[in-house]
Amino acid sequence: MLLHNRPRLAFTIAGIAVAFFLAAAQFGLLVGWINTLTALIRHARADLWVMAEQTPAFDYGTAIPRQRVNQARSVPGVAWAEGLFMGWNIWQRPDGRRINVELVGLDVSHRGGPWEMHAGELTSVRRSGVVIVDELFTAALGVRGIGDTVELIGQRAEIGGISRGVRTFTASPFVFTSIEQAIRYDRRYRDNEVTYVLAQCAPGADLPTVQAEMRRRLPHTEVLTTREFAVRSARYWMLETGVGITVVLTAALGLGVGAVIMSQTLFAITNDYLAHYAALRALGFHAPSLVACVLTQALLLGTAGIAGGTALFFLAARVSVRTSIPLETTPPVFAALVVASLATCLLASWLAMRTVLRLDPVSVFAR
Amino acid sequence: MNAVALAALGLVKSYGTGALAEPVLRGVSLTLRAGETAVLLGPSGSGKTTLLSILGCLLTPNSGELHVGGARVALGDATARTELRRTRLGFVFQQAQLLPFLSIRENLTLVAENAGLTHTDAGDRASASLARLGLDAHREKLPGQLSGGQRQRVAIARALLHRPPVILADEPTAALDWEHGRAVADLLVAQSRDAHAALLVVTHDTRLVSRFDRVFVMNAGRLDETSKEAFTHHAA
Repeated sequence: MLLHNRPRLAFTIAGIAVAFFLAAAQFGLLVGWINTLTALIRHARADLWVMAEQTPAFDYGTAIPRQRVNQARSVPGVAWAEGLFMGWNIWQRPDGRRINVELVGLDVSHRGGPWEMHAGELTSVRRSGVVIVDELFTAALGVRGIGDTVELIGQRAEIGGISRGVRTFTASPFVFTSIEQAIRYDRRYRDNEVTYVLAQCAPGADLPTVQAEMRRRLPHTEVLTTREFAVRSARYWMLETGVGITVVLTAALGLGVGAVIMSQTLFAITNDYLAHYAALRALGFHAPSLVACVLTQALLLGTAGIAGGTALFFLAARVSVRTSIPLETTPPVFAALVVASLATCLLASWLAMRTVLRLDPVSVFAR
Repeated sequence: MNAVALAALGLVKSYGTGALAEPVLRGVSLTLRAGETAVLLGPSGSGKTTLLSILGCLLTPNSGELHVGGARVALGDATARTELRRTRLGFVFQQAQLLPFLSIRENLTLVAENAGLTHTDAGDRASASLARLGLDAHREKLPGQLSGGQRQRVAIARALLHRPPVILADEPTAALDWEHGRAVADLLVAQSRDAHAALLVVTHDTRLVSRFDRVFVMNAGRLDETSKEAFTHHAA
């Protein structure tokens, strides 16, 4: 039945493909954003994060005494611990325009910093007045490359390196330097303060045990595993700011549009063949086999549309790799989306199924 | 004498309820034996389609009995009625109602397989049937590529393919001109006799009457059997 009207079939599949792509793109944005806003946490190669109590997300850490670094190092089972600074700052471009940035101060082994360099060396942040920015934001920050100079709240800074793949969720680019220089740029911090303490367990050490001991020894702080801190940051941005709900609603809208397109088509096809369905009922076809025919058409349309939408999504994802808004996904998220889409297709066939189920086979006789 | 293939006893059917009830069948009885052919005539609104629907297990009467192929029909059981239609009844409609996206052969095998034949048996029977009806050259064509008369011949083949004891036809020639209609009626009668099936054809065309063994006339919900001679002046 589907192939009998090829233009309509093509339009329907295209409609479902676009609707699926819309939904996949929304979830792709969601996954991309979550990956973006937890990237520095995940790439820090730390097991535990120590922070001020009630820190809602990585971007909103507040000062804790730097002595917590040494206290963390003294906890049995800790291989290493070091500090990390994170504070909002104002960047003045060479043309005088000012933009907000997230200034990250790195400790001696640069944990919590960029994980890939496009140009220059990560160690350049140890030099006085040197910062690293990401290649995605050079234009926004008004710099062309290494050696350019800018200002951070009136203090000179020189570009010492360009990182790769450090996106920002907040629209304020990350700028990396050393802890000492970061504190110099941010006058709200004292010299003996940091924002976070990063710690890694020694081989064989039990993470929950180390975490519990660290909580006991470090007063007025929270000690979270990397996963716990990433989840907390993601939850803050996605749920408490409403961003995630908006994205999920838009994705649901995309699926809804697909369902309407599918529903209309199946209903129209079913109506076109109503006399034939009535004839088949009269010839002894049981209602379930005719419903199965409608459901099969729904699944075929859905599968073809989803396949098209999937191709569109991965094409768009590939294009977005080098942008500040990446489309990403994970196998469980994509599988769930496919299952939800197929379920939506089946739901969309309800009207057509109802028509077939209510069909009076007597109508096949001339009256 | 051949066995009874179709028997209806005291069929009563009304549409609506209470004071608004409109009687359509007023105690209709009818018996057809295997291989017997009959035509059902009557003015519009006389109850022909309702009777055909009940005999075809598509509609339930308010009262009465129905026997198809020697077995009493459980009229209240929709699944049992569907099973009977699937296995013991063959239908020919005014329009052939062939699925337009399946080939002629596929149209036949689809129905035959639904009637319980294996894929191979259904294919073999479809091929043999199409050859017998002179449609072998058209087996892979779509219904839209055939004339109205050819499509009705395919519909006749479809009705007989699973060898049901009863064939019911509703105005099978109404959409055809006289020449093609006559040919289709002749084919239907001949094929039913060959298959030893009882055939009941509803028609308005009294010129076809002479081709059938028996003639029934429906009038205001009552069924009477009459002689063919009353219509002989129309016979071609």
